[in-house]
Amino acid sequence: MGRGVLLELNNIRKSYGGVAALQDGNLSVSAGEVHLLLGENGAGKSTLMKIVAGMVERDGGEMLWNGRPVNVRTPGEAAAIGIAMVHQESLLAPHLSVAENIFLGREETNRAGLLKRGKMLEAAQRLIDEHHFPLSPEWRAGRLSPAGKQLVEICRALRNGSSLLIFDEPTSSLTVDESAEVMRIVRELRDRKMAVIYITHRLEELRAIGDRVTVLRDGHTVHHGALANVSTEELITHMVGRKLSGFYQRERQQPGPPMLEVRHLNAGGKLFDISFTLRAGEIVGMAGLIGAGRTELCRAIFGIDRVDSGDVLLKGRPLHVSSPRDAVAAGIALVTEDRQVTGLATKLPVEFNMTLANTDGICRWGVLDLQRQARVTEEYRKKLRIRMASPKQLAGRLSGGNQQKVVIGKWLFRGARVFLFDEPTRGIDVGAKVEVFEVMDELARSGAAVLMVSSEMQELLQVADRILVMRQGRITGELPGSTTQNEIMRLAALQVKS
Amino acid sequence: MSDAKSAADAAVSAAGRRISLQKVLPFASLIVLFVGLAIASPHFLTSTNLSSVVRQTAVINIMALGMTIIIISGGIDLSVGAVLAMGGLLGTMAMAKGMPIMAGVGIGILTGLGCGLLNGILIARLKIAPFIVTLGTLGIFRGATLILSNGLPVHEIPQGFAFLGEGNFLYVPFVLWLLLLCAAAVHFILDHTKLGRYAFAIGSNPAAAIYAGIPVSRYTIAVYAIGGMLTGLSGMIEASRLMTGQPTAGQGYELQAIAAVVIGGGSLTGGEGSVAGTLIGAFIMGLLSNGSDLLGISNYVQQVVIGAVIILAVTVDEVRKRGRSGGNA
Repeated sequence: MGRGVLLELNNIRKSYGGVAALQDGNLSVSAGEVHLLLGENGAGKSTLMKIVAGMVERDGGEMLWNGRPVNVRTPGEAAAIGIAMVHQESLLAPHLSVAENIFLGREETNRAGLLKRGKMLEAAQRLIDEHHFPLSPEWRAGRLSPAGKQLVEICRALRNGSSLLIFDEPTSSLTVDESAEVMRIVRELRDRKMAVIYITHRLEELRAIGDRVTVLRDGHTVHHGALANVSTEELITHMVGRKLSGFYQRERQQPGPPMLEVRHLNAGGKLFDISFTLRAGEIVGMAGLIGAGRTELCRAIFGIDRVDSGDVLLKGRPLHVSSPRDAVAAGIALVTEDRQVTGLATKLPVEFNMTLANTDGICRWGVLDLQRQARVTEEYRKKLRIRMASPKQLAGRLSGGNQQKVVIGKWLFRGARVFLFDEPTRGIDVGAKVEVFEVMDELARSGAAVLMVSSEMQELLQVADRILVMRQGRITGELPGSTTQNEIMRLAALQVKS
Repeated sequence: MSDAKSAADAAVSAAGRRISLQKVLPFASLIVLFVGLAIASPHFLTSTNLSSVVRQTAVINIMALGMTIIIISGGIDLSVGAVLAMGGLLGTMAMAKGMPIMAGVGIGILTGLGCGLLNGILIARLKIAPFIVTLGTLGIFRGATLILSNGLPVHEIPQGFAFLGEGNFLYVPFVLWLLLLCAAAVHFILDHTKLGRYAFAIGSNPAAAIYAGIPVSRYTIAVYAIGGMLTGLSGMIEASRLMTGQPTAGQGYELQAIAAVVIGGGSLTGGEGSVAGTLIGAFIMGLLSNGSDLLGISNYVQQVVIGAVIILAVTVDEVRKRGRSGGNA
């Protein structure tokens, strides 16, 4: 094909147990370009990239590397020809040092087979200095922030002399500053004539780094070309396959009486003098940088972490929560940011997950009423428009958006009235995001109180009635829903004089 | 649009059929083994031999049913062999002291329950890994049994007690009825009760279970208590078969019980396992051992074969799971 094409994929196919994940994967990437790979969850992006990186084997289709057909069956084989992947969830060995991780699997040894530790430390230090990474080769990988872990993976790829680097949603768990840093590095790699494939859900990032773009939908390649020739609206249309307003705006309404009041809450040296009120029928946004203490606040209210002092009132009455059980019993729901880890039993069927927080609701004398379970599952499938093959489908096999809806359905069936959403749209595609917003809106309209923690300021502006901003464990201000991103950033990032 | 949808549904249900096909693989192996033995040995298909297979496997089988719930909940119990001995010993001691047979059996079962409760409480309250806790209680229960008995077996047992392990009821061994009853009960617990549902949830994802407000400690304790009760019953059956309260009984049984669960598709990482699978697993091991005896294969070779079968069964299961959950996103 064109000159300088490094990687070319033609009609790649892959099925998992009879379900087609990818039917027609096409992609071509040249040295010195950042190629964006877009698509909703379940579109086949990750599958395609796992095939390139040797993590899964393709069922059919052709993969050309520098014009020659190749077949990479393991990540080791991919690395050997110069393909490396920076993962969404870090694949580092947490107990080893940064340097040890960089050299993992390619350790330098002397004739006797012993490790040359000093030499590897030096080489790692040189690599880190060269790219101005905020790392030390002796740090433990497990203690690094998500951004730091990605930098280590990038170091590893550079060290291995990779010519193609794949980023799978690198910024989804990073702060604004960290994202900017990762994008700076991506541009630098491009300038060094490396090829970069970049998967993202953050549409606002596209223009900052992308050269060309490929869009997948339902396992098919539906668009490819230069990024300059296509508008963001058009890209969204390609991704979801229908016209859709990327600019959801919620109709706001008059809030009711206070539901949840938090007064002077202090916890674990991470939360200081937190006071705020959630009223029935309102959605309160919670903005802040990563590490500001927003997740910790949710955990404290939900009884996961110990509270040192302060009061929580539910409908005006004092509430004592010392475990998630107490919180659930009081009608509080937490939709966690890492739904695969704390939200869902991914190996169990959807219908189990849907009824997990309210098993008593389908139970009499400890015996389950399976017909009632089926009715409940069907009710919430309809209500939340969950797409699933059957109620018996394993929850882990649903797309991110549908998984999130199962989590929400679980709390709806529990009858929760206070909802704490921690990054509710993380890892969810555009179409499902709007659906999650709509569910939150319905919750508010039905008189529930909703706290929405999000790092996506645009989302908060679209959805929240008012926005609280946290910084370093304190609430630094409250803004109306009609505020601007700049105002939020000012409160989230500005140093507080103390 | 609807075509695409129905095609996708068809693909999904095809996948469902394939999975169920692989699910019956252990059962198919059992049948093949059964038929093979029937052809290979004229002594296999006799009522004496088949009864003896049932009696031999019943002890491990009932123990393995309890182990199934424990493994589904993400735990493991290494102390069952020692619990079996303690239950058998205390039950027979009670009979030797003149208590009625039923009371003796009850004491054996309650002893198992007590041991299971202790395991569960230590695991749930101290938050120590089940492997470690039950490794410790394995020593404690075995030692306590030896102390209580002075290392000597109990022989003064009423003749009627032999019925439990050796008697027949409606033409088949009484223990078969007992086994079927226990299997039905455990199946009911797993698929139709809150306890079973929570066992799956806790084993599949303990964090999600806690976040959903499930009282994880309480149900963990219940799971080990049920396992202990079934083990206590096994202890009484073993004692009845030997007509002895043997303080050294049941050594190594824990590994056989775990093997039965694992051959039947249980996962040591929790969240997976079934009563049918465990029964099949136990019977596969029972037939292998019985067949080796009939065909004159030495006891030493048997051990090698059973070890290999465990690895083979788990390998097949792993391949199945990888094909199923390759993951998308």
